[in-house]
Amino acid sequence: MQKFVFFGGKGGVGKTTVSCAYALKCAEAGLDTLVVSTDPAHSTADVFDQAFDDDPTAVDGHERLWAMEIDPDEAVDRHLTQVRRQMNQQVSAAIVNEIDRQIELAHRTPGAHEAALFDRFIEVMRTADDYDRVVFDTSPTGGTLRLLALPEFLAGWIERLVAKRTKSVDLFEKAAIGDREARRKLDEDPLIAHLQGRKEKFEFAGRTLREDSAFFLVLNPDELSIRETERAVAEMAEQDLGVEGFVVNKVTPAPDEDEQGRGATWLRDRVGTERERIDEIRGEFDEPVVAEIEARVREVKGDLLAAVADELAIDADAGSVEA
Amino acid sequence: MADGGRPLARRIASFREWVEEWLHGLYHGMVEHPSFEKIEKEAEDVEDTFLFACFADAFGIPSPVSYYTVELLPYLADEFEAWERRMWDRGSWLERKGQQYHVH
Repeated sequence: MQKFVFFGGKGGVGKTTVSCAYALKCAEAGLDTLVVSTDPAHSTADVFDQAFDDDPTAVDGHERLWAMEIDPDEAVDRHLTQVRRQMNQQVSAAIVNEIDRQIELAHRTPGAHEAALFDRFIEVMRTADDYDRVVFDTSPTGGTLRLLALPEFLAGWIERLVAKRTKSVDLFEKAAIGDREARRKLDEDPLIAHLQGRKEKFEFAGRTLREDSAFFLVLNPDELSIRETERAVAEMAEQDLGVEGFVVNKVTPAPDEDEQGRGATWLRDRVGTERERIDEIRGEFDEPVVAEIEARVREVKGDLLAAVADELAIDADAGSVEA
Repeated sequence: MADGGRPLARRIASFREWVEEWLHGLYHGMVEHPSFEKIEKEAEDVEDTFLFACFADAFGIPSPVSYYTVELLPYLADEFEAWERRMWDRGSWLERKGQQYHVH
């Protein structure tokens, strides 16, 4: 049984709707469930008509359901403040300005958002003891996929950094002859300790993603969405992460047989095209389609969310696909 | 037999002491000191590489880990400052290499 369930897919396919619907389904099945959104647009708030922040908050009107929204900008700023505070404790005022520029720079690099988000992900996974299920509504574009590839990559990098640092400290120890004090010492090096701590966190994340997590991709029945999904599946396979199944969202409802008007004809055409696409999805991929969710006229919230939850054939108990 | 009131054995012993001290001094000056200095220089080199791997973005090379390595800066402030100065100032770097490999 997987505790962490991720929903991914390109922007606008309805990840938030599907994530919230699945979280609701889990909560109604008796599991304490937390839904985590990384969408800066705060769409979870729209679905439940309630404002959320960085801390889990109980969702009004639903038992056993909590939600939180991670704001990457805020996470980056918080990290910046933390490093600065540490800096002021350890470093003389004269040198702080010089260093401050580098700190600022590191938090403005393109990868900072991803790194901050990933840190928060790890934090949530480490402190999720109170919940039976944690549902991640991941941010659009390839960002999330790169995020999932991070642990391996970062752990490898840090290993090399530790090796370099160990070598230089070792040389410093060797250079200290006689009674001379070595300029650096291995067993008291704060850098190596810090890097090791980082590495352990990344390894924990890698393990959790591989062993305790299930991934679902949300897509729409159109060519663009299918191609994007193909790429996503391939990229995830590269990371040794399997996709549990697909959720086809925003499927156009068919008109009744006896309707022959212009609108009905148009709809019928559209439904036909989408059928072909869905058949393509079912034929082309090994992963099962776990739900076909019809497009709704209005935004999915309230009762509509419960209806969508019913359409999801993802088992709430096992985090796996219903037979 | 005595010379200056000291037995031969004592004179030999003190001569050996003197020789040992000189030899050690010679060894230290010609071998030990330069090589330890060299090791320390090499240690500094390795540390420079480490700093570069951590903070390559200080020189405009985007690094995917700089967000994490910046956490090390509080411990490395002095080294970082000196390193940045060294890296920007190639003249002093060349001079340093000259010292390191005795080509001056």
